[in-house]
Amino acid sequence: MKRGAALSVLVLNLLVGAGPIHAQSAQAGYSAAGLYNLGNAYMRQGKPGMAVLNYERANLLSANDPDIDANLSYVRTSLHLPTRSHSAFERLARCASPIALFWIGVIGLAIVSASTLAARLSFGHIWLRRVAGVVGISMLSLSACNAVALWPLLHEGVVITGATPARVSPVPMGDSLFLLPEAETVHITAEHEGFFLVQTNAGRTGWVSRANVAPVVPRKQ
Amino acid sequence: MNAIRHHLLWPAIAGLWLLVAAPASADDPWVYATIRPAQITLGESAQFTITNLGDGATPSITMPVVSGLKFEVIGHTRQIEIINGTTLPSTSIVVRVTPQMAGIFSIPGVTPKSQPVVLQVNAPPGFPGAPPPSPQAAKPPPILSGASIPKGVHLTEDGSAYVRLSVPKREVYVGESIPVEIELGLRSGFVTSLNGLPKLTGDNFTLNNLSRQPERSEKLIDGQAFVLLTWQSVLSVVKPGSFPLSAEVPLTVKIRTRPRKDTALDDQFGDPFWQNFFGRSVPKDINVQSPPQDLKVSALPAEGRPYDFHGAIGTFAIQSDISPPKADVGDPLTLTMRVVGSGNFDRVDSTMLDHVEHWKTYPPKSTFNTTDPLGHKGEKIFEQPLVASQPGTQTLPVLSFSYFDPNTKRYETIHSTPPSVRISPSPTDSTLTAQQVAASGVPGAVDQRAEGLKPDHAEVRAMASSLRPPYLQPRYLAIPSLLALAFAGSWLGVRRRSRPPERLTARRRAAARMNNRVLGQMEAAARAGNPAVFFNAARNGLQQTLAVRWQVPPEEITADEVRRRSSDDAEIQQLFALADESKYSGGDLRAIDFARWTRAVRQRLTEESTR
Repeated sequence: MKRGAALSVLVLNLLVGAGPIHAQSAQAGYSAAGLYNLGNAYMRQGKPGMAVLNYERANLLSANDPDIDANLSYVRTSLHLPTRSHSAFERLARCASPIALFWIGVIGLAIVSASTLAARLSFGHIWLRRVAGVVGISMLSLSACNAVALWPLLHEGVVITGATPARVSPVPMGDSLFLLPEAETVHITAEHEGFFLVQTNAGRTGWVSRANVAPVVPRKQ
Repeated sequence: MNAIRHHLLWPAIAGLWLLVAAPASADDPWVYATIRPAQITLGESAQFTITNLGDGATPSITMPVVSGLKFEVIGHTRQIEIINGTTLPSTSIVVRVTPQMAGIFSIPGVTPKSQPVVLQVNAPPGFPGAPPPSPQAAKPPPILSGASIPKGVHLTEDGSAYVRLSVPKREVYVGESIPVEIELGLRSGFVTSLNGLPKLTGDNFTLNNLSRQPERSEKLIDGQAFVLLTWQSVLSVVKPGSFPLSAEVPLTVKIRTRPRKDTALDDQFGDPFWQNFFGRSVPKDINVQSPPQDLKVSALPAEGRPYDFHGAIGTFAIQSDISPPKADVGDPLTLTMRVVGSGNFDRVDSTMLDHVEHWKTYPPKSTFNTTDPLGHKGEKIFEQPLVASQPGTQTLPVLSFSYFDPNTKRYETIHSTPPSVRISPSPTDSTLTAQQVAASGVPGAVDQRAEGLKPDHAEVRAMASSLRPPYLQPRYLAIPSLLALAFAGSWLGVRRRSRPPERLTARRRAAARMNNRVLGQMEAAARAGNPAVFFNAARNGLQQTLAVRWQVPPEEITADEVRRRSSDDAEIQQLFALADESKYSGGDLRAIDFARWTRAVRQRLTEESTR
């Protein structure tokens, strides 16, 4: 009895701890519409790098928004940069926001657990249990697919300044290997003292200052 | 009267020598060059004549190339002279020499054996570079000036050359750079080649940044024409002490084979042609040295030496600035420190800033811009990249530079004004809204590329506090983890409740494993024809099985106990009896039907394990 009470307190605490997620988002959080509008504002100011960065961030929260996709394609086309298209897997795996899909996964896990326990206890209603198991596993799979689809985005960055030098070493006076155009999306493979080791779509690698490249998913300083 | 006789005597001797020697030298062509006039004004031309005496093979004549002079062949002449009945042919090439600039030009010899000639080109009055007109002297300045031997000039024994080393200071410090001047005087027509650059004697000094091209001028010294070559350089000393200092230059000079008093007329002519004509000479390599000077070198004082002193000696000043004056967090800035002055700039060094709070600092790099060819005066620029990690107006620490001033003979530390810079938050990490961004731009100015954008969306309440996926946020991960934990606990609880049937199953599995083992032993004994082992294995297996059924220890299952409890099973009673017989009596049991007894034991064991 005591153990059950302690577990209840722990769960309550965790749920209370998770509560401020919503409180914070009301204060200073991210919304797809806000990021999209921010991208538009930067584009009007002639800062396509910052515009693409905010569109990409908006895309994280609302993957299948046609306006975000349209503006991303438009900016990249106007800058003669390659546009990107989402595969069927990506569209399916990102059919909702990551938070929504996360909760769907949690509910799926609960359903699968309950149906398994019911089967163990010979609860009866075998068809109901089977349907619940399939639904739970599907929800869990959808959430896992979303995590897989989001993983590459965690290591992407956008060049936010024009003619950014990619250097041979992570120091400001390092020799420049090549120049990165503004708004190009790069893959961030490492980080060292204010510099990112980036890889372009063409496979070229160099160190770029944090002031010139912004990760799509902000990192802690 | 004596003077007239003296002046007439030598031409007469020369004419006689020509008459006697000319036939002898007719087979040996002899080439010489003359220039007339030897002094012209820029815009005029001089006639340069190359004469070849004799009718032998024509030697190879190389047209001279002198920077600033243009040579044009304007004609060839051929003469035949009859001297004392002997025919002496000669050919001449007449060349027009047009100067393109003012100055003193030395035209090299046209053959390896012939002598160079000198052409003086004066700038016209009023022309840049021309000497300023003097109200007292309307005439242009003389080509050669100075007559007496200047101080510090010590001619070689034959008077052909000298080296003078000018050192402005007499007491210097170890590591100090001292500008010096090395002057080489070459008497016209006596020095045939310069075999190397000047160098200092001894190992205690180093000569740096010696000028590649010496300055050239001409001067009359002791009544003789000298060509002066002057090098500028910087001297430095490697250790303290008092050392003799002198410079030396390797030369090849012509040593006259006749006594000096006999060549007085040659020198009077002053023309290399006549000097060589009348006096036979041989080349000789010599090292011309300047008179030694004592140089006192002091070590730098240890007292009062600043911690950031790197060996700079001279007179310096510094100034610093940072650019750009405004930047964002993460933007690289450049902190610049300029050290201006004169001294040993190769020892001017600075680490600038190191470990500044809220700043990322990198090692500085330096460049040196000299304002003199020696590298003694100029400006050394240190540039240090910095990256700010915190927004706000920030003032960097004061930069300092320490050096030793040889004039005041003490260390000096100078400081710059602390540079200040305004750092804005990084636009990528701030939580700016579209309205704030739009307000920060130029009103009314919209990038044309934005015309094709989709319109803004209606603002909604923020949905996420972070763009990181929930799978990577610990507080989110706690929820499915707890759920999985609860599921695992429930599973264990349910399993514990359903344990008895499982135990039964486990016992059956153990019994089956034991039965298999017993039957295997029996079959092996049957194949070996060993009834003792066969019946022993069968009895052990049955003891284990019956012990479980009757809840007694296996060793208490004997033939009597079997007879008492299983009186209706004659076959098992007989098996226990045979087992005892084979164990104790050792009777012949070869006629035993192993297969039959194996079937009987298998049946009993199987019945018991499935019971």
